[in-house]
Amino acid sequence: MSAVLQNLVNQPYKHGFVTEIESDVAPKGLNEGTIRLISAKKNEPEWLLEFRLKAYQKWLTMEEPQWPNVKYPKIDFQAISYYSAPKPRKKLGSMDEVDPELLRTFEKLGVPMHERAVLAGVAVDVIFDSVSVATTYKQKLAEVGIIFGSISEAVHTHPDLVRQYLGTVVPIGDNYYAALNSAVFTDGSFCFIPKGVKCPMDLSTYFRINTQESGQFERTLIIAEEGASVSYLEGCTAPRFDTNQLHAAVVELIAHDNADIKYSTVQNWYAGDENGVGGIFNFVTKRGLAKGVNSRISWTQVETGSAITWKYPSCVLQGDNSVGEFYSVAVTNNYQQADTGTKMIHLGKNTRSTIVSKGISAGHSNNSYRGLVRIGPTATGARNYSQCDSMLIGDQCSASTFPYIQVRNNSAIVEHEASTSKIGEDQLFYFAQRGIGNEEAVSMIINGFCKDVFQQLPMEFAVEATKLLGFKLEGSVG
Amino acid sequence: MNVATASGYLESLLHGRLQLPASQLAWFNRLRADAVERVGAQRVPTTRNEEWRFTDISPLIKLPFQPVYAASNLQAAEVEHFYLDPAAPRLVFVDGVYAPQLSTQLLSPATDSNIMITNLSAAVSAHVMALEPHLGRHAEFHNNVFTALNTSFLHDGALIIVPRNVSVDMPVHLLFIATQKEAASYPRCLLIAESGSAVTVIEDHVALQEGVYATNVVAEIALADNARVNHIRVQRDSSQAFHIASCAVSLAQASCYRSTSITLGARISRYNLSVRLTGEGAECTVDGLTLIAERQLADTHTCIDHVKPYGISRQSHKCIVDGAAHAVFNGKIIVHPDAQHTDSTQSSRNLLLSGRAHIDTKPQLEIFADDVKCAHGATVGQLDSEEIFYLMSRGLSEMTARNLLTYAFGAEIIERIPIASLKHQLEQTVLERTQRN
Repeated sequence: MSAVLQNLVNQPYKHGFVTEIESDVAPKGLNEGTIRLISAKKNEPEWLLEFRLKAYQKWLTMEEPQWPNVKYPKIDFQAISYYSAPKPRKKLGSMDEVDPELLRTFEKLGVPMHERAVLAGVAVDVIFDSVSVATTYKQKLAEVGIIFGSISEAVHTHPDLVRQYLGTVVPIGDNYYAALNSAVFTDGSFCFIPKGVKCPMDLSTYFRINTQESGQFERTLIIAEEGASVSYLEGCTAPRFDTNQLHAAVVELIAHDNADIKYSTVQNWYAGDENGVGGIFNFVTKRGLAKGVNSRISWTQVETGSAITWKYPSCVLQGDNSVGEFYSVAVTNNYQQADTGTKMIHLGKNTRSTIVSKGISAGHSNNSYRGLVRIGPTATGARNYSQCDSMLIGDQCSASTFPYIQVRNNSAIVEHEASTSKIGEDQLFYFAQRGIGNEEAVSMIINGFCKDVFQQLPMEFAVEATKLLGFKLEGSVG
Repeated sequence: MNVATASGYLESLLHGRLQLPASQLAWFNRLRADAVERVGAQRVPTTRNEEWRFTDISPLIKLPFQPVYAASNLQAAEVEHFYLDPAAPRLVFVDGVYAPQLSTQLLSPATDSNIMITNLSAAVSAHVMALEPHLGRHAEFHNNVFTALNTSFLHDGALIIVPRNVSVDMPVHLLFIATQKEAASYPRCLLIAESGSAVTVIEDHVALQEGVYATNVVAEIALADNARVNHIRVQRDSSQAFHIASCAVSLAQASCYRSTSITLGARISRYNLSVRLTGEGAECTVDGLTLIAERQLADTHTCIDHVKPYGISRQSHKCIVDGAAHAVFNGKIIVHPDAQHTDSTQSSRNLLLSGRAHIDTKPQLEIFADDVKCAHGATVGQLDSEEIFYLMSRGLSEMTARNLLTYAFGAEIIERIPIASLKHQLEQTVLERTQRN
């Protein structure tokens, strides 16, 4: 492995800083009291408290999953504080009133909120640690009837909608971390696109983990009614800490007849230092239900951060002719571990799914693709195409592929392809011949490798993702 | 199935073992004792176990079948139709017990070349030096309860030793005949191919009649430097039988192993094939065809383990599934950090002929080295409509076109068998099973 590659890989995390804002932190530990406290703090209705307690009871009976291809020290769930909210100073009338410290944080991240919102036409629902502090463009969205805001707000303003859909795609007992999230989730986004409405702009939320040792349990719920369409962006960065932070989010998407939901993520959380110390544990359950006929759910993700990523954005293709898509780039370096992939559950007739997964591993990292394609007996004429390619940089890393293909219908056609490659000396030599230096060559090869996925990202994200990959792998190829 | 009945099942199976005569060889007795201990330490796998996730073997554990020890008095006339070539060396086991009257064995130094083709118990004390490093050393039984069971019952089996630089011209036929209902058999095969040798072995599991019985077979194949082994495995058990099989192959430098396994029979069958490329430049080709119907379940788990550099592996596994049958394929390819320049391809292709048939396939790659070429692919589907159209445009009826394409799908694997008589038999079977009217 050349020195150039080495340098590429060893870029320090650029977003490592702690914002000093007074936080209202709950005592460590998890019990019914904690859940009642969270619920009381957020002034929640009785049904939601019941939902949480039911999930907690379920969680107690469940065991931590052991099957992912990742290793980490046992998590002490009693050593985590389950609630932390920036202390409310006063009611905010405009952006100017937002905590300047908070604004500076976003400045450092290169996300000047108002600028971004105005210039790029993006409504940013800023989630800071768990409570939504400022929401922009709400009014513009409200004009077309779109509800977009924090989920804790939606619980009060649109309780019927939240109650109708919450936990329908990811049931409370779905898996260990989903159950935990259902019990203790503090905030997240809620988005409702009414019948026939095409969302006029990309919706975006910036998540940020701040208070040391406070786990983040985000809950996102997006509903697209008949004929509606929306593109949702999720971007993540977190400050540098040495203790592992647990993040167990749940995202639920519901697409009714002819609806279209596109969900894009760029994840760059703190991955630990070059010795694998610290970093975020990212155990996420993301699932979309393509409920109506001709509906479409598309996941695009660029995963570059976290010490451990455990994430399978999935599609349940229930409606006839519904479409599921999954485009993913996962980059691991140093001692990062990623076990990520997707599930495509075909239930409706003529349902189609596409999976394109690109894994890049460098350093001592471990990158696994784990995917499930299930064609149910009712899914006549279903079609799936999967492609998962791995690229290894250096001889200390590993790449694994675990594709599960389960077919119960003989009219289905399922195809799966996978390959493994590396950046060869000959390729770099070819670039050098044409006067292109190693670093640039590597960046070009990687961008070419990931092109199929980047093309799916909204423009601003594609630019950000390309840059992100560049500095994640700086100096690791040669 | 609850745990109590499951462990009780293993205990009841081991009771049958007490009747085994103790060997005079300390290492042989120790090997068996270790295996008994491992049986005791493990449980019968359930579908909660990842390795058995799609194969529910609970019907098997309701049947505490015991092995048969009495030698069979089966006559050649009754089983002759199973023979492939009258002149070829042949070892016949009836319900797991060696049948000398049906076998033609070669025992050194009977022939000039010192080839040894015999039953294990006849050779075990005389050839300790040759056997001890191999017997029970390749087929790992610490985490595999069925291999542990077979090893606990280790007594007799097929033994083939091909000396240095010797090439066996005739294929060796290992014929395992099931004749009794409600019997268990634990056959064992050991093939030692010394450096530069070459041999073709046919492992053939047949049944004299339909019936419920259980076979748990373990094969160990060791290839020294530059050795070549062609292993053809045909499982045509009774459609009510249970067949659990393991085969562990170890390849030294520049050796070459070819395997073709054909699965046709059994109500529930499981084949674990583990190939370890432990020497540089070793090469293996692992092909398989599963052709099942009605309520059959056939599970093939293969693991190709590239330990050393410059290894080559080629794998093609096909399943044709009819009726309400269920085929499972799990093909694992591991490339160790040292195994640079590995070149590996794998394909899993599956054809579902009926609306109730189903398939679970998982082509799995685990790669720890960067300078390797690894590719795998899997397809599940039906016949290509363009191919059918092409044949119909040449005047074939749709049914004939479908039959022809289905046959060709399976025949691609059968064609790789180098023994004309066996190839012909299997082609007929595929033809019969894939034709519709």
